Amino acid sequence: MTGRRPLVFGAFTGVGLPNHGPGLWWHPDAGRIDHNDLSAWQELARSLERARFDLLFLADAVGSYDVYRGSRDQTIRDAIGLPSNDPSVLISALAASTEQLGLAFTSATLQEHPFNLARKLSTLDHFTRGRVGWNIVTSYAENASRNFGLDGLRDHDERYLQAEEYVEVTYRLWEDSWEDDAVLRDGERRIWADPARVHPIEHHGRWYDVAGPHLPDPSPQRTPLLFQAGSSEAGRAFAARHAEGVFLIAFDPAGAERHVRDVRRRAVAAGRRADDLLFLQGLWFVVGSTEEEARRREGELLEWVSLEGVLADLSGKLGIDLAGIELDRPLGDLQVAGVQGIVESLRASRPDGGGTFRDLVLHLLSARVVGTPEQIADELERWRAAGIDGINVMDVPAHGAFHDFAEHVAPVLRERGLMQREYRPGTLREKLFGRGPRLPETHPARAGARSRREVVA
Amino acid sequence: MSDDRIRLHALRQSTVGHTAIGLWRHPDSRAHQYRDLSFWLETARILERGRFDALFVADALGPLEVYEGRVDAALRDGIQTPTDDPLLTISAMAAATEHLGFAVTVSSTYERPYQFARKMTTLDHLTQGRIGWNIVTSALDSAARNLGLERQIPHDERYVIAEEFMEVVYKLWEGSWEDDAVVRDVAAGVFADPARVHPIAHEGTHYKVPGIALSEPSAQRTPVLYQAGTSPAGKAFAARHAEGVFLSTYDPAMARGLVEDVRARAAAAGRDPASLKFLSIVTVIVAEDDGTAQAKYEDYRRYASLEGALARYSALMHIDLSQLDPDVPLEYVETDGIRGMVEVFTRMDPTRTWTPRAIAEFVGVGGGGPVLVGSPATVADGLERWIEESGVDGFNVADPVPPVTLRDFVDLVVPELQRRGRVWTEYEGATLRERFHGVGQARVRDDHPAAGYRAVPAGR
Repeated sequence: MTGRRPLVFGAFTGVGLPNHGPGLWWHPDAGRIDHNDLSAWQELARSLERARFDLLFLADAVGSYDVYRGSRDQTIRDAIGLPSNDPSVLISALAASTEQLGLAFTSATLQEHPFNLARKLSTLDHFTRGRVGWNIVTSYAENASRNFGLDGLRDHDERYLQAEEYVEVTYRLWEDSWEDDAVLRDGERRIWADPARVHPIEHHGRWYDVAGPHLPDPSPQRTPLLFQAGSSEAGRAFAARHAEGVFLIAFDPAGAERHVRDVRRRAVAAGRRADDLLFLQGLWFVVGSTEEEARRREGELLEWVSLEGVLADLSGKLGIDLAGIELDRPLGDLQVAGVQGIVESLRASRPDGGGTFRDLVLHLLSARVVGTPEQIADELERWRAAGIDGINVMDVPAHGAFHDFAEHVAPVLRERGLMQREYRPGTLREKLFGRGPRLPETHPARAGARSRREVVA
Repeated sequence: MSDDRIRLHALRQSTVGHTAIGLWRHPDSRAHQYRDLSFWLETARILERGRFDALFVADALGPLEVYEGRVDAALRDGIQTPTDDPLLTISAMAAATEHLGFAVTVSSTYERPYQFARKMTTLDHLTQGRIGWNIVTSALDSAARNLGLERQIPHDERYVIAEEFMEVVYKLWEGSWEDDAVVRDVAAGVFADPARVHPIAHEGTHYKVPGIALSEPSAQRTPVLYQAGTSPAGKAFAARHAEGVFLSTYDPAMARGLVEDVRARAAAAGRDPASLKFLSIVTVIVAEDDGTAQAKYEDYRRYASLEGALARYSALMHIDLSQLDPDVPLEYVETDGIRGMVEVFTRMDPTRTWTPRAIAEFVGVGGGGPVLVGSPATVADGLERWIEESGVDGFNVADPVPPVTLRDFVDLVVPELQRRGRVWTEYEGATLRERFHGVGQARVRDDHPAAGYRAVPAGR
C-alpha cells in the first residue's frame, strides 16, 4: 500500500440545520448549531483545516419538501433542509479564515442564470485563490421549480439536457473568453486589458443566449473544480463527461465498486482518463474507545432519529408520498420523478432485485461506520479497495461529527497513510490531482475550446 | 432634538475603473487588488475606523460597449470590465468588522426573486443585520444579451416589472415566517412551528412564487433599501421604496431639486418624507494644507483618461459620444439608458451646456460629482456648505485612488467633522437600518410599503 495517495476527505453539510439524520439536531453530541452565525462557520472551517480535511462541501437545495402527507409540516418541524441559507455568499468569509481548505458548494442549474453563476464562481475563485468547487445539480424538487416560475418539475432526462447546455455556457465563459495574457496592466501605454484578447462567446442555444464576454478576468483555476452527484443513468453519463469529483452514497463497497467502474468506463469512452475522476463516498461515523462503547452510542443516536422526518425527507427526494406505504414491499421496477440515483444505488448493491422500501428509507442512516478508530480505518481500507478515492464525512449528528472525526479517527488514519498530513501546494485542483491548476486537456471544457479554436482558424 | 449629523457611505465597485477612469495607473492606486479579499477587508476596517455607516458596492452586469459600438475602450481602461460579483465579498468583510453596513447593487431585472430574497436574508443573518440593497433595473444592452434577451427591456417597463419584484420579495421577507415561528423546542423535538410559516402564494404578471421563504427571518427582515434612479419612473420608485437615495449630480441646486421632488412624492405615497435619506456622491482630495492638496489633485488629474470617461458616459447615457463632434453641445434625447444622467448633461441646468470634451474633462477625477480639494478645514467647510445648499443628508464618498482616497478622508476629514459635531464618534444601534431611523428600528417603518406584507400571526 505504500506510495498510494491518502484518501480525500470532505466535510459534508449545508447552511441550515444538519443535512443528514432528521431529528438529530437536538442530540447532546450535536455540538453548536448556529447556522446563522458567521463566526461559527469560520470556526468550523478553521478546525477542518487543522485536521487537514481536503474540503468543506456545502450542499444546497432550493425547494422545501412538501410531498410527505401532502404538506410541508413535518419538514418544518424537523428542520429538514429548512431553514436553508444560501451557501455562495458565505464562502468569502471562510476563505478569509483559512488558507488551504477547499470550499465547494451546490448550485442548481435552475436557480441562477449561467452568466451570473459563472461570474460568481470566478469571483470566488479569485477570492479563494483557486480553492472553490461547484457541485452541479439539476434541481429535483417540484416545489423549487414552482418557486422559480415553472409550472412544475421538468422531465428528468430533459433536466440533464438543459444542464448540458448550462455547463457549456459556463465553460465557454471560463475557458474561451479571456486569453491568459489578456490583462496587460500596462500603465505606460494606458492599457489595462488588450481588447484583441477578450472574446465574446455568442452562445445561442435551446435554453440560453449568452453573448459574452465573461465579466471577470481569468481566475487561478478558470473552471472551478467540478463535482457531481448523480447516480441515475443520465446522472452517470453527465458525471462521466463533466465531473472531476463524484459524490456517491453507495449502500456497500460492492455497490460502490460497480458504480465507480461504470462511470470510469464511460469517462474513458468519452475521451477522458480514468484518473481524471475522484469518487467520494458519503459516510457517517460513530466512534468509541471500544466497539461496545461505539455500539452503545450508535443505539443512543438512533433513538433520537425522527422516523417521520426520515420519511418526509425521502418522500421529498423521491417525489413519492411514503406515508402509509408498506415498508417491506419490494421496489420492483419503481420509477421516480425525483432523485432516481437513490433507487439505482440500492439496485447496484442488490443486483438480485431484493431491495425493499425499508432499505430505501434507511439508506442515509445505514451509510455509517461504527467502531474504534482502528476498526473505522479497516473499513475505509475496504472502501478504498473498492475504488473509492475519498470520503465525504456526513454531519451526523451535526457538526460535532467533524469534531469527533478529527479528534479520534483522523490521527489513526494519518498513522496508516489514509489521510494526508499536509496539504499539497496550489489550487484545489492541484491539491487533489497533483497536476496543474486548470482542467486537463481531456476535459470537454478544454476539448471544446480546442475544437472551437480550430474552427475559427 | 434634530440631528444634523452627516451620514457617510463609501462608494466602490468590484472592478479596476469606476468613477475615476485611468487613475489605476497612478503609482499609489491599488485598484487592481479588487480581486484580492485582503484588500476588501482593509477597506472595511478603514471605514469602520471612520465610523462610516456603510460601504456601498456598485455593480453592472455587462461590459460597456456603446462607445465606438465595441468594448475596446472599456477594456483598455478597465472600466467596469473585468468585474467581480459584489455580493460575494460581504461575508468576509462582515467577519472583519462589527458595525459597518454593506449596501450592494443587485439588478432586479436579472435575478429570480425567490433566490435573491434568500441570498439577502442569508447575508442579513451573517452580518447580523448590516445588509442593504441598492435596487437597480439594468440599463445595459450588453447585460441583456448575456442574460438571454435580444436587447434590454424598455425603460418604463423595467420599472413595472421591478414593482412586482418588490412585492414578491416583501412577501418572502416580511410575510412568510412569523417572528416566533422558530421554536427550537428540544423537548418536543420541534424546530419550527408549521402553523406559523406561510406560503406567499404570489401569482402575478411577471412572477409566480407559491412557496414559503427558505430562510428564517433575519434581524432586519427586509434589507435597507437604496435607489439611485433620477428619471420620473426612477423617482416614483424611490419615493415608494427607498430608505436611502444615492444622488450623483455635481451641483447642489440640482440635488436640492431632486431631494424636494422625491420627498414630495414620498409624502404623497403616505411616507414620512424625512425618513428618506439622500446621499450625494463626492470626491475629496485632502492633505494637511490647501497647497499640498491642490498639488495632489493636479497629480491625479494627469492620469485621468478622457477616452475612458467618454466610454463610461456613452454607456450610462446610451449615446455613442465617439460619433459626436467633441465640441458641439449635447441635446436631450430619450434613450433607454440612464435618463437622469442624460438630463444632468443637457437640460437640468439651463445656465450651462456640455460638449463631449467638456464632459470628459469634467468627470476625470470626480466621476461627474463634486470634487472638494483642500485642507481638512477647507473640505469640511465645503461639505457643510453642500449639505446646506442641497438639503441632502450625507455623502457617498468615492475612492478614485483606492484605498488611499478613503484612508485620507478617514484620517483627516473625519476627525475635523467630529470636532465640529457633524459626524458620529461612536456607532449607535446594531443594525444598518437603526442608523437610518434610530435605535430600535431594525425593521422597516410602519409607513413603508413592505410593512403591508407582514404576516398576520396565526390564531391571534
